[in-house]
Amino acid sequence: MITPVLLAALALVLTGPAPALLARSSWPYRIPRAAVALWQAIALAAVLAAIGAGIALSYSTAGQPGEPRFDPSSPRDLLAAAILALTALVLVKLLWAAGHVAVGTRARRKRHRDLVDLLATPDGLVPGLRVLAEETPLAYCLPALRGARVVVSVGALDRLDDNELKAVLAHERAHLRARHDLVLEAFTGLHTAFPRWVRSEVALDQARTLVELLADDDARRRNGPKPLARALVALAGSPAPEAALAAAKSSTVLRVQRLAGPEPNHPLLAAGTYTVAVLLLVVPTITVAAPIVKALVDAVG
Amino acid sequence: MEQLWAAPAALTVREVHERLADTRELAYTTVMTVLDRLAKKKLTERERDGKAWRYRAAAPREEFAADLMRDALDRAGDRREALVRFVGQVSDEEAALLREALARLEDQAG
Repeated sequence: MITPVLLAALALVLTGPAPALLARSSWPYRIPRAAVALWQAIALAAVLAAIGAGIALSYSTAGQPGEPRFDPSSPRDLLAAAILALTALVLVKLLWAAGHVAVGTRARRKRHRDLVDLLATPDGLVPGLRVLAEETPLAYCLPALRGARVVVSVGALDRLDDNELKAVLAHERAHLRARHDLVLEAFTGLHTAFPRWVRSEVALDQARTLVELLADDDARRRNGPKPLARALVALAGSPAPEAALAAAKSSTVLRVQRLAGPEPNHPLLAAGTYTVAVLLLVVPTITVAAPIVKALVDAVG
Repeated sequence: MEQLWAAPAALTVREVHERLADTRELAYTTVMTVLDRLAKKKLTERERDGKAWRYRAAAPREEFAADLMRDALDRAGDRREALVRFVGQVSDEEAALLREALARLEDQAG
């Protein structure tokens, strides 16, 4: 009976206190790549632990695996079946949400790309760059397996000099190359899979910030920190009619302050974070798999 | 597409081809393919007129542009990560912090 309790506790810790604590600390920003891996491990481990708890609970009620003794007349066994069904339901819900987000994202992105191709002019010098005749300063990328686009508005071009534009493009290309959109998509799927009153924005927000930092680091390695920081300030600090709408707490200040600091290089911290990420995934997996493997070995032996 | 926006009524492929012929050398079939693709993307609407299709822009240019901007600025209330923006808008306080951080960076040698 101890395994399901432990797994459930692990799932609860990984969905509540652990993300909250991690989001409040600043050390993950020093090692964005490892931090993304840690967030992914936390999310995946929480799901595994929750599902594992359901499976383990049904075991401990209905007897050991390998020797099923399901008796429809016993309330214990019916309860076990119900728990197993509920666990399966959670899994189905998760997969459905992930699929829904994937399809929806692609549809919206395709429509957007069609509009960009219709309204924006390709830049003759930089392949894949589209220029939008809009005064609002805008720079973003449209990820895709083939035919990804980087879109920049005239308003943004007016505010950037050549080096700054290069930094912006390097940043966007880093997003496209590393497919950061897929990372965000996974977290969005997880986010939408849970009802509004239990889910939190923490993981998704952190993932968003961390991929920006990753792309910043890439651009910094290519062009140095200054053009990128100038570009960030020029585009974010410029008065725009919609300023009020995006007034949510942004990561822009963090990004520029980070560029003003020394170049991040923390191999030990990164290695430690990766180790924790791996352990997080291995422990619940083994806990769930162990009784099954044991039963198989017993059955064969 | 410009021709469709400029035209008062729906145009056939031949009419679009004729209008384009003044400025560009395009094969009739190319025009047909392009118009067909635009219709599949729901950027144009078409109706049967005898044997030919008549094409018309699905919306005025400004409306498409407004659509695009609404989507790009994430004002549609859609939380899906369709596009990854370089930077969002910041509040006045944040803008001050930004300039401060930038000033520190500019002061550094190199």
